[in-house]
Amino acid sequence: METPSNINCACCATQFAETDVYCNSCGFPLKGTEDEQRDFITNRTFKEIDLADFHKNIKSATNSLYWVAGLFALGAIIGGFMLQDESEIVAHLIIYVILIAIFLALAVWGKQKPLPALISGLSLYVFIQIANAILEPASILSGIIVKIIIIAMLIKGIKAALEADKIKKEFNIK
Amino acid sequence: METVSEQYKTCQHCESQIALTSSFCSVCGKSQNAADLEHLSQRKQHLKYIGFFLAVELLMCILSYAVDSSITSILFFDGIFAVSAVLFFILLGSDGIKLLKWPNFSILKLLSTIVVAVIFSYGVNQVVPWLNVNIFKADETSYSLQYAGYPYSNYLMIFSIALMPAIFEELAYRGYLMEKFLKIMGKKEAVYLSSFLFFLMHFSIASIFWMIPFAIVLAEIRMRENTLWYGIILHFFFNFTTCILDIYEFQGKFWLPFL
Repeated sequence: METPSNINCACCATQFAETDVYCNSCGFPLKGTEDEQRDFITNRTFKEIDLADFHKNIKSATNSLYWVAGLFALGAIIGGFMLQDESEIVAHLIIYVILIAIFLALAVWGKQKPLPALISGLSLYVFIQIANAILEPASILSGIIVKIIIIAMLIKGIKAALEADKIKKEFNIK
Repeated sequence: METVSEQYKTCQHCESQIALTSSFCSVCGKSQNAADLEHLSQRKQHLKYIGFFLAVELLMCILSYAVDSSITSILFFDGIFAVSAVLFFILLGSDGIKLLKWPNFSILKLLSTIVVAVIFSYGVNQVVPWLNVNIFKADETSYSLQYAGYPYSNYLMIFSIALMPAIFEELAYRGYLMEKFLKIMGKKEAVYLSSFLFFLMHFSIASIFWMIPFAIVLAEIRMRENTLWYGIILHFFFNFTTCILDIYEFQGKFWLPFL
């Protein structure tokens, strides 16, 4: 049995017991010197800033999945006009609709589960590029800068998702 | 003041009694999440292994598309796929060996697996050729015609289409890939992701409707039964049924090997 005091931790505002030397939620040295307490808060603040950056990277990576869906929609329309045969157009559109739907679904899923959604998105995107390159080797060069930016953003997002989980666990940040 | 009754655990460092929910010891200040943190730090490494695995699989796919589709090269690439699947599987060590055991063997489950595989395959084979020809404007493909003209062509086809993929794709995807994903994320996500990548590796958008559900079933069975064997058998009978239907359609005969 422990009697919680009415005092909250100066760092994370969790209530602690009078006998506690450290906060059991964030590790703040409750009975430490002023210097120790200040160093602790500074260090944790830095990590919180890192975490905010990682969340920003994750967000732009999941948003880039919407951009990919948009680019594919554009590709579907332009490509559709270049085809003559009506049944070919239907086949072309169905394939694009499937791909766009997958990217949109991944972007939505990414809000809750960024890591698996971004890994799926990156794999699908790379596979599409490789499949296109097999069918038409020159296609790999068209819009190469956009392709590199998208791949880089997705990789950055995946790395950020891994790091963010680590910081959250290490400092018990919810 | 109200007293709160709490459950306690022992600090991993100073062995003091601390509240069960503590992330840090209230006496020595050390983190109680060391094991979780260690697990999280290894995720990047596992992800790199997955990347390497996918790169190897992709490279083999590209090479097998690039060369001619003669029987020699088909069998050559079957062999390469098999060797790489076994090598990756060996890298799993004891985690892999565990999957090769067959706990709770049940003849009933085995028979239902076979029946489900045959029915599912029959259904897919009714719908997919129609979709390919009418919606995706692809040519109707026959597996058995690829093997025609070679001695024991139907046996070769069963070997290359039913037996080899059933064993080695299961070792690679439900074995190596899933085990690695399980070290990075939750079960549901691992099942989904391994199935999605299995679908991607087949380079066929049209097959999304059946291949993802098929792979999810294989992955779910592997999760529940903790063995690869049901998956191997399901995969084999699924592909085997495809072969038999293909022979029936393109060679006009009902053929069963060894009968």
